[in-house]
Amino acid sequence: MTKVKVATAWLDCCSGCHMSFLDLDEALIGLTDAIEITASPITDIKEFSPVDVGIIEGAISNTHDEEVAKALRANCKILMVWGDCACFGGICAMRNLFTKEEVLRRCYIETESTSEGKVPSSEDLPQLFEQVKPVNQVVKVDCYVPGCPPSANAIHYALAELLEGRIPVLPSEIMRFD
Amino acid sequence: MKKITLTINDKEVKGNEGDTVLEICQANGIDVPTLCHFEGLSDVGACRMCVVEIEGERRPVPSCTYPAREGLVVKTHTEQLENYRRQILELIFTERNHFCMFCEQSGDCELQKLAYLYQMDNVRYPYAFPSLPIDPVSDYLVIDHNRCILCGRCIRICSEIAANHTLDFGRRGWKALVVADLEQPVGESTCTSCGACVQACPTGAIFSKLSLYKGRTDECQRITTVCPVCGVGCELDVLVKDNNIVSIEAPELTGLKGPLCKEGRFELLRQTRPRVNCPLIRGKKGELEECSWDSAAEVIAERVSGLKGGFAGIISPRMPNETLSLFHKFIREVVGSDLIDTLDGESHRIIAEGIGQFKNGGNGLDIECPIEEILDADCILIAGADAKKTHPIIGTLVQRAVSQNGAKLIVVNPSQDVFPLWTDIWLKPRAGSEGVLLNGLANIIIDKGLAVPEKAGVELTKSLGNYKTGEVSRSTGISEESLELAAEMYGQAQRGVIIYGEGLLKRNDPSLVTSLLNLADLTGNLAEKGLRVISLKPGANSRGGWELGLAAREIKSNGLKGLYLLLGDEKEDDELLDRLKGIDFLVVQASYHSPVTSIANVVLPSPIWAEREGKYVSMDGHSLELKRALQPQEGLLQDQEILIELSKKLGRQLSPS
Repeated sequence: MTKVKVATAWLDCCSGCHMSFLDLDEALIGLTDAIEITASPITDIKEFSPVDVGIIEGAISNTHDEEVAKALRANCKILMVWGDCACFGGICAMRNLFTKEEVLRRCYIETESTSEGKVPSSEDLPQLFEQVKPVNQVVKVDCYVPGCPPSANAIHYALAELLEGRIPVLPSEIMRFD
Repeated sequence: MKKITLTINDKEVKGNEGDTVLEICQANGIDVPTLCHFEGLSDVGACRMCVVEIEGERRPVPSCTYPAREGLVVKTHTEQLENYRRQILELIFTERNHFCMFCEQSGDCELQKLAYLYQMDNVRYPYAFPSLPIDPVSDYLVIDHNRCILCGRCIRICSEIAANHTLDFGRRGWKALVVADLEQPVGESTCTSCGACVQACPTGAIFSKLSLYKGRTDECQRITTVCPVCGVGCELDVLVKDNNIVSIEAPELTGLKGPLCKEGRFELLRQTRPRVNCPLIRGKKGELEECSWDSAAEVIAERVSGLKGGFAGIISPRMPNETLSLFHKFIREVVGSDLIDTLDGESHRIIAEGIGQFKNGGNGLDIECPIEEILDADCILIAGADAKKTHPIIGTLVQRAVSQNGAKLIVVNPSQDVFPLWTDIWLKPRAGSEGVLLNGLANIIIDKGLAVPEKAGVELTKSLGNYKTGEVSRSTGISEESLELAAEMYGQAQRGVIIYGEGLLKRNDPSLVTSLLNLADLTGNLAEKGLRVISLKPGANSRGGWELGLAAREIKSNGLKGLYLLLGDEKEDDELLDRLKGIDFLVVQASYHSPVTSIANVVLPSPIWAEREGKYVSMDGHSLELKRALQPQEGLLQDQEILIELSKKLGRQLSPS
């Protein structure tokens, strides 16, 4: 049986969802029989090649996030997102209560440990968007696993459903937003 | 009530005329999701979660506001309705900040539960991210407008049940906010901090600072006991996790005593006084020193047996009946003294004597009516009582009667109008002229022909002093006009209720109580068993102690050699401290260190309210059961066990009756 090819990416996030994925523990061993992880922070491969399932953790906060999301979408048949940041905006979207300038100033100049701070402005750096967005406001998303982070159980459920050929929707009992 | 038959989801169901469609669904086990609906409050159809399809209606209607009628054909869970509900949830989630991971109420949130139910794993609308304030000014609660869904439950509970009308919607449309008064910070507003809104809020928009991050409801055990603060006797649901109190809720939020008050809901959680953890005796250097139960008991036994009289016992009216009667027995039979009183015994003696003078006795405290009568009143005369401060639920009931039933409110108080926003007439007698005022009012009522004819005999009029309006006015300093108006107001009432309390009792004049009873009797303001009169008894179990005969006689301080004070977790005051000074041998059984324990010869640790069990009698005579919510720390004895152990040391067997 050919393995299902999977690529994952983390955008504006804490990587907690990927940690939760690793929390599948011994279930991961079974999964490796069925899936092959190509590009992913876990394999440290950064260039996407065509896969069956793309997985995104994190919200869209800057030009880099948008580029990666679009690249993965272009390379996958089904796009699944993990975590409240990717599904809704989550913790990352807290900054939407302030302007981009306020956020940068607070972060690079006003923090208590900073002296003579400066907002970085190189062209090589990704540009922050005015607002943080959930992934589905940038590319089409096929399925969602909310949670902060989603439990290993929720991630396992979603992957198992995909392997069975179904688009997963978390049942109420295992869906959590925290 | 007329029965009606409807068809809901192709099934015939029955209901009562006047019910809403939602009520009939709920009564028939049909689970329609709701957010702004709250059992016991009026319905407003704000959230639209409960929309249903009704044959003949052009569009879905909210079932919570739709009056049911014979023959309606209702569908509650069609695919379209379920889609609408999911859509409503998405709109609510995108309207403000409803990210759960940094919300205190996550896990205890009705909005979150519904989102799980509707498997809302994404939203299809852009988020609004409005910049909204958080109001943390109050000592007890926080309003986070970012979490608010504008369901209005807090506003309705504040007006309909707490009857304080502090909260309301401010601004309009997109910018609407729940505001206190005219957008004051809630801690600086007319809010009484009863906390009913905290319990009614379905999300994390209003939460208690004192329960913050202590635990979720489903991790807690819920124990229903009785509030130890005042005589109203509100039931409390104590939520306990790992032997710590997480929060205190009303078992029945929209019931008579539903809102609770600042003291019962919050202050009980804010105990900062240091606990007495073990027995203490005054050592040779004059300092209190820790000691064993045994040596404390020996010191007490030695001094008590050596005293030969002049030893008294005073007990807090927070103690349940069982402890009260055992204490009575202990002092009478073991110590051999008849000097027994409760901390609030003086109030009892004045009330009892006042009732005794009324028509040669009567039925004691049974002459009073239950507090429910306040809600039913068409006129309330409140004399010498600051109910909102001392018995807040009584204040709430008065305000409900005034705002919801149009009851007239007369305040008799020499120094302040205790219901400044609600009073119709404030009668402000000169200090000491209360008697003239009350008897004067009775006279004016008789003169106006408003008294029940057979009650208003010449004899009574004589006993009332036969005052004319002018004389009353001169003595009391109240205008004739106000006197006549008040007399008419109360005299014409069909269900007038008189409430009196601390201020009046402090005058130390039982005839004032008699005058109030006369007023009620004269005007025919009778309740089922007695008169529509209520005295605000100071302690949670004042009535229990009084009925057990613990407050029959005053203890004179002169000649007193020793005193056993069973204080428990009662707050001491200067008056008590003064009474205790100069007593040779003072035993204090108390939960907390205080100026009182610091002058004691022996201090014994006592459990706090949540560690006690037993029975109370509410101020209007209901028997209430206290349940133990917290396990006392190891080595701590219950009050009754302490008395039993002490008796053994004194060579006597004491058993709870």
